Amino acid sequence: MTIFTIDEVRKTFSIGEINEEILKGINLSLKEGEVTALVGASGSGKSTLLTIAAGLQPASDGQVIFEGQNITTMSSEQVRKIRANNFGFVFQFAHLVPFLTVEEQLMLMLDVSESKLKKREQKKEIDKILKLVEMDHRKNAYPASLSGGERQRVAIARAIIHKPKVLFADEPTASLDSKRSKDVMTLISNLTKTLNITTLMVTHDEEMLSFADRIIKMSDGQILPSAV
Amino acid sequence: MNIAWKEMKKNKARFLILGSIVFLVSLLTFIISGLANGLSQDNAALIKKLPDGTFYMTKEADKNYNLSRINHSVQEKVLNKQKNAAAISIQMGFLNDSEGKQRSVAFVTSTDSMLFKNVKKGEIILDKSMKEEGIKIGDTFTNNQYNGKFVVKGFVDNQKFSHAPVAFINMEDYKEMYRVNDMQLIFIPGGDGAPSFAGLQAFSNNQFLSTISSYKAEQMSLNMIIWFLVVISGMLFAIFFYMMNVQKIGLYGILKAIGVKTSALFKMMWTQMVFITAISLSLSVALSQIFNIAAPKGLPFHLPLVTTVQLSVIFLLIGFIGATLSGIQIKKVEPLQAIQQGEV
Ligand SMILES: Nc1ncnc2c1ncn2[C@@H]1O[C@H](COP(=O)(O)OP(=O)(O)O)[C@@H](O)[C@H]1O
Ligand SMILES: [Mg+2]
Repeated sequence: MTIFTIDEVRKTFSIGEINEEILKGINLSLKEGEVTALVGASGSGKSTLLTIAAGLQPASDGQVIFEGQNITTMSSEQVRKIRANNFGFVFQFAHLVPFLTVEEQLMLMLDVSESKLKKREQKKEIDKILKLVEMDHRKNAYPASLSGGERQRVAIARAIIHKPKVLFADEPTASLDSKRSKDVMTLISNLTKTLNITTLMVTHDEEMLSFADRIIKMSDGQILPSAV
Repeated sequence: MNIAWKEMKKNKARFLILGSIVFLVSLLTFIISGLANGLSQDNAALIKKLPDGTFYMTKEADKNYNLSRINHSVQEKVLNKQKNAAAISIQMGFLNDSEGKQRSVAFVTSTDSMLFKNVKKGEIILDKSMKEEGIKIGDTFTNNQYNGKFVVKGFVDNQKFSHAPVAFINMEDYKEMYRVNDMQLIFIPGGDGAPSFAGLQAFSNNQFLSTISSYKAEQMSLNMIIWFLVVISGMLFAIFFYMMNVQKIGLYGILKAIGVKTSALFKMMWTQMVFITAISLSLSVALSQIFNIAAPKGLPFHLPLVTTVQLSVIFLLIGFIGATLSGIQIKKVEPLQAIQQGEV
């Protein structure tokens, strides 16, 4: 079942007088519970596409449809709500909040998504997710005292604690060594299956492609036709 | 979850520094305004302690009370009409003690009145500051223009004029010393509806104070100092809040990206700002009030609690405006910016 559709999306950046079209009419749909990998040369527009899909920046033209609603025409407050309740993000860096403990990072995410759970249930849920990412032993640690891989695992936990429908990941393993990268990827693909999350992931790493259900190749702002 | 509080708890040093700056700058402002107020009291407590009312001097004196001579018949007419009115004169002069030491005082004399001390011929009542210098009741003083001796009859609290202690003397003595029959001023207590008298010019208490050019000049510089301090400290606060917000741009971006409302970020910033300034200001109000009580006797320091509270409110307002203005950046932060900028 299609949960997410990108329809003829274009993006033009103007730098001074020059207008450069970075996305040249992208069409893509994501199926529920699938991991879609986005690959392509650096500068081909992968991150731009991902952030537009995630409602983090507007498209110049075209539609992004999530559960039947076009998010490109929504107010920023409506988009924020959708982001907070339905989307999860993992980026190259963990972007944790420096003054919150691991547990508090997840608590904040639950607050933001207006979780209906009671405090005790929230704590239980947090423990469960932290166990999944094998970070339950560092629950009270601050980000500064964690390694890069640990931080990334916390970021993943934060991205899924509120049970989002779509997970966006932009080179989530780029800052990790290959052993850690594999662990993180295994984690993401397992979570996707167990929680039935739809994932759109940008990656550079050929090795990571084995975790994807579908691979989309991008070049110069366009999707290359290819065998699935 | 209260992220404002969590951040302050984790970054104690940063907020402590901000708090100390607010504390020190506001304390500086309080102390300086205490000194300014003290000087102004020292310069004119005699006038400042009077109830609101109206001063009269002759039109010919042209706003210089020293040149004013109110004709005795005019004085009689006014005093008969106005029960509480008093005719007064003020002259700077010297008292010599038995060892020949000279002290500068402001001689004040008045007709019978509740507002000014009335003394018998040959007697004198002095400001308390002279008591602190070791003068006792019963001590005697002479004056070059006075044939007899002044015997100290008592002391009064905080009666100063032109930075000198006030010495209340009898009108007969005054007339002998300064060889005049007429008084310089008439004062009628009571706020509104000051009657006008032919040949006399009326002044409110404050208007009268500003006819004293030395007082006016001193007050102007002191007020200037206080307002500059308030404006500069306000700007300092605003700049510090601004810098703190700039440092937190990345953080705001992340919080926005995960879906935190902009209004929640403003609330976070306001909570922190109000918390820090309120604590710092309370501390500096408390400390300045302690100083007000404990200040050395000779130091002209006068800082009513009301003044510090008023200044605190101004500081809070300026801090709030500064924080809010710099908060406009929060509104502008794109979540994407934080993500593209890499790790914070
Ligand atoms: N905010 C922006 N302003 C101007 N140009 C941009 C902006 N964001 C991305 N670009 C340009 O768009 C192109 C694609 O960038 P990006 O989507 O990050 O590529 P990828 O993630 O595939 O490496 C690059 O040439 C980049 O310089
Ligand atoms: Mg990229």
